[in-house]
Amino acid sequence: MNNRLFHITPSGWSGLLFAAFAFVVLPMVAGKLWLSVFISTGCFMLAIAGVAFMYARLGMVSLTQVGLMGVGGWVMLRLNHAYGFPFEVNLILSGLVTMVFGWLLALPALRMRGLYLALVTLMAAGGLEILFATYQFPNGGEGFWGVKTGSAAAFRRPWLAGSAEAYMRYVVVIVVLGFLLIEAHRRLAPGRAWALIRRSEAAAMAAGVNVTLYKTWAFGIAGLLAGVAGGLLAGSLGLLDDATFKASESVMVFALAVVGGARYWLGALIAATLYRILPALLNNWGVDADLSFVIFGAGLLHAIITAPNGLAGQLIDTIQAKLAPKKEAGQ
Amino acid sequence: MIKVDNVSVHFGGVIALDQVSAEFTAPVNGIIGPNGAGKTTLMNVVSGFVQVHSGRIDMNGTNLLSMSPHRRAHWGLRRSFQKEEIANDLSVFDNVLVQIDHAGSAGAKRDEVRRMLGLVGMLDKADRMGRTLNSFERRLTDMAKCLVGSPKLVMFDEPAGGLSIEETKRLGELIQALPDETGAQVLVIDHDVELISRICTDTLVLDFGKKIAFGPTADVLADPKVKAAYLGTEEV
Repeated sequence: MNNRLFHITPSGWSGLLFAAFAFVVLPMVAGKLWLSVFISTGCFMLAIAGVAFMYARLGMVSLTQVGLMGVGGWVMLRLNHAYGFPFEVNLILSGLVTMVFGWLLALPALRMRGLYLALVTLMAAGGLEILFATYQFPNGGEGFWGVKTGSAAAFRRPWLAGSAEAYMRYVVVIVVLGFLLIEAHRRLAPGRAWALIRRSEAAAMAAGVNVTLYKTWAFGIAGLLAGVAGGLLAGSLGLLDDATFKASESVMVFALAVVGGARYWLGALIAATLYRILPALLNNWGVDADLSFVIFGAGLLHAIITAPNGLAGQLIDTIQAKLAPKKEAGQ
Repeated sequence: MIKVDNVSVHFGGVIALDQVSAEFTAPVNGIIGPNGAGKTTLMNVVSGFVQVHSGRIDMNGTNLLSMSPHRRAHWGLRRSFQKEEIANDLSVFDNVLVQIDHAGSAGAKRDEVRRMLGLVGMLDKADRMGRTLNSFERRLTDMAKCLVGSPKLVMFDEPAGGLSIEETKRLGELIQALPDETGAQVLVIDHDVELISRICTDTLVLDFGKKIAFGPTADVLADPKVKAAYLGTEEV
């Protein structure tokens, strides 16, 4: 009943333990290729957390999250090549610009609900796909678009994360901060407002909740996370390819967020693992990575039929069911 | 005093409210009528969910229709719905706190939520999640939401729906105590005429969107037009 802002739940502890594992152990044992895969997984986990939280807390479907990552990545690259700001400043600006972009997208989209909202966001993702394909990502060239032919200019990584190992640790910390941002919102006034909006917009308005403000706010946070994720991805690779940010990828990321479990940090991890690590594993085993699409489809069917809270929800329910009899016996 | 002045609501060709006027001066007032009479539509107009075709609704000189729905809640309008709108993934405490999240210090808000939960008898269940509550507990949580934040006008839309006789009695007592506790005026819609006659001083009767009676509840319930609206008339 009292302020539980700083209360750590069992799920929170397990998340922090996993983050500690990813921070300490993974960079030590992973080779160069796998470090790159893990960093990319972390970036997409952050973006998936944004789209999953909008779906879990407000029931809003956004199919433009990967496009927004592209916006963040574009801003990051542009700032990096144009100015001498530190990496962190560029990263924050990338997130903020993408957040504003998310707000702008939200304003017309908020007049829609359900399928129509999803379609509007998908159209925005399609528009971004065309923009990225037409103008490409900055690589140190002149002019507003900053694109040049030939080899790209060097990208400056954070001063304390120059190596791949250190950069992975850097990404882990930012991802944890992203999840803490979502969790803090969930426990404060915005979280209460979102829960009521999800229950009934009329009830939310009757409770004094400014529905438009809080929905726009949610879009902004999802945009912020996507922008930071895109900026981190740009920092990892040094340059970005428009093929990464196709509208179909946004649809895929949303579907995987549902498969993983939109309400849980573990769901975002499962979704990002399926999206980035599974294809890399298949490649490693000499199997066509496109097989991952079949596995995604099977996962989606499984989630729709037997796991409405996603694989993470199913896993947590199973663990809780197994622990419950032991507790009773212990009592 | 709530003044409903010539309020009309049209849904396309359907006239849901037809120049309804009434001045509610009593602490607890009822609105009754058969299904489709326009009771909830009137409540939705006061809440801001339905736009009027014409007319005005004032309370103590404030034009309610000039404010957006959430601004009306900040001003002091509270309402419950036919189905208790309690968020399943919030605790009882947070479900009430959300009503006064927009203003005030955190400590004062928490104290007030505790006080009102104590008043409705839900303080010991403050940490329970909404999904674990039964319908009466949900209704009591809804009641606590209506009590917090110095309300000026509280509206209940069929609060006794689905409740047992004992639960309805307890709810009626809480509604009756509400004006003394908060200073708010109360409007109650219900089909339970016994509840209305017990707790409401004045009652407005609607039928097919028109006012057919308004005044002291006992007089209104004895009105032949009201009986005809509820029971029909014998064809000769």
